[in-house]
Amino acid sequence: MYRQGDVLIVPVAEEAVPPGTDRLPHQPRDARGRLVLALGEVTGHAHAVVGPGTLVREAGPFGASYLRLPDGGRVVHEEHAAISLPKGWYRVVRQREYAPGAVRVVAD
Amino acid sequence: MTTQVETAHMETGQTDRTALWREVASATGPADRAAAEEGVCLAYRLAGLPEPEHIVWAGSPHEGVALAARLTAEGTAGRSVRDAVRTRPWAAARERVLERLGPSGWAAHWALTGAQLWDVTVALTERIRTGVVEASTGVAADDEQAVRLVLLDAVLGQHDAAWLAAFDGQDGAEALEGISAVARAAGWWWPYEKTAVVSERPVELHRDEAGRLDRADGPALAFPDGFALHAWRGMPVPAAFLDELAALTPRRIREEENAELRRVMLEHYGYERYLEESGAQPVQRDKAGVLWRIELEGDEPLVMVEVVNSTPEPDGTHRTYWLRVPPRTRTAREGVAWTFGLDEADYTPEKET
Repeated sequence: MYRQGDVLIVPVAEEAVPPGTDRLPHQPRDARGRLVLALGEVTGHAHAVVGPGTLVREAGPFGASYLRLPDGGRVVHEEHAAISLPKGWYRVVRQREYAPGAVRVVAD
Repeated sequence: MTTQVETAHMETGQTDRTALWREVASATGPADRAAAEEGVCLAYRLAGLPEPEHIVWAGSPHEGVALAARLTAEGTAGRSVRDAVRTRPWAAARERVLERLGPSGWAAHWALTGAQLWDVTVALTERIRTGVVEASTGVAADDEQAVRLVLLDAVLGQHDAAWLAAFDGQDGAEALEGISAVARAAGWWWPYEKTAVVSERPVELHRDEAGRLDRADGPALAFPDGFALHAWRGMPVPAAFLDELAALTPRRIREEENAELRRVMLEHYGYERYLEESGAQPVQRDKAGVLWRIELEGDEPLVMVEVVNSTPEPDGTHRTYWLRVPPRTRTAREGVAWTFGLDEADYTPEKET
C-alpha cells in the first residue's frame, strides 16, 4: 500500500473488488486530463493519477473509491513527491480524524 | 451511436462546465445586478408569467427574509411563484434528462456533475438557513415558524449550482436559463407575483480544504449588510469567542467547560505548544509517529499522534502535523492505521510521501 499525504492507496486483488464496481459511473478527469482521487477545496491541490485508468466512487458519504490502472500510473500532488503504482486495482482511502461524537475528514 | 472519443469529449465538456459551476457556488463580491434582474425577468417569462413590477435588493439572505416577510404581509408582493419559476421547469428538465439517459444513465450523469458540488453547497445552505433563523427570531415562538416558511420560498441562486451543473448543456435546459442567469449573478432570491426580492452574494467566504466554513480572525461568511457566520473548521462558534483566541493560555483552555469550544481552543493554540507548556510526556513512539495523551477534566482524554510529513518542505525541513485518534489507542501506528480505517497489523505502507 502507498500513502501520499492524507490519501492511502491499497492494492486490491481483482477477485476482491466488489461485483459491479466496473459498471459504476467513471469519475471524470479534470481539465488537465487527470483522475482526481481527492481535491482540496481551497487550494485546488489534488492527489491525482496521470495516465490511463478509471476511478469509481460508491454512493454515500462513506462509500469507497476504487481505482483501476490497466498499465500502472503515477500519483502526483502539488506538495508531495509522486508515487509510481504498478498495474492493478486499488482502494483509495481518505484519512479521517477522531472527534468525540463524530468523525471528520482530514484536510492537509 | 456514440464513439469512445465522443464520449470522452462529452465528459470533458461536462467537467469544464462543472468547474464553472463550482466557481459560481463559491463566488463572492457584489452581485451583477443588471444581469440578475434580466435573469429574474427571463425566469418569469419562461414560466409564462408577467415580469415582476419591482425588483428589490437585499444585503443578505437575512435581510431578504425580512423584506420578503414584510412585502408579503403588506400585500404588495402577491403570492409566491416559486413553483412556476423554479420547481416546475426544474422537474420538467429532470424528466427530459431522465427519459433520455434512463435511471442508470442519470445516476452516472449526476455523479459526474451535480454530485461533485452537492455536499459542500448543501452544508453551506443549511448553515445559512440556521444562521438566518437565529438572527431573525425574537422572543415570540411563532417567529421562527414564520422565518422558516419564508426560507422555503427562496430560490438558492448561486447555491443551486449543483443542480444547474447537472442540467447545463442538456436538452430542456432552456427552461432554466432565467434561474441559471440569476445564479451566475446573485445570491438567494424570492419570486412573488408582483415583486422579486434578490440578495447580494457574500463579501467574505473562508473555508478549509474540506470545504467547511473556517476562519479564526473574523467571520467565515459575511454579507455586505453585516449578516455573518463564525466557524472554526465547520464548527459554529460565537463571534466573541474568536476574539479570545489570540490571548489563550493553557490555564484558560483547561478551565473552558464546553468540550467543543475547548477543542477549538486547543487546535488554535497548537497541540505541540499546549503539550510543551503543560509538561506532557509522550506515551509511546514508533516508526509511524509519536503518541501523546492529555487528561481533560470532565471529558474523555485527548489522544493525538504526532506525524512527520514524509515530503520535505522547500527549505528542507519536515512539517509535523497532529491527528486526533480514539482515546483507547495504544500505539502511534495503531492510531495512524485507524485514521485510514485499518487495523494496526494491516497498515503496512511500502512508500510514503
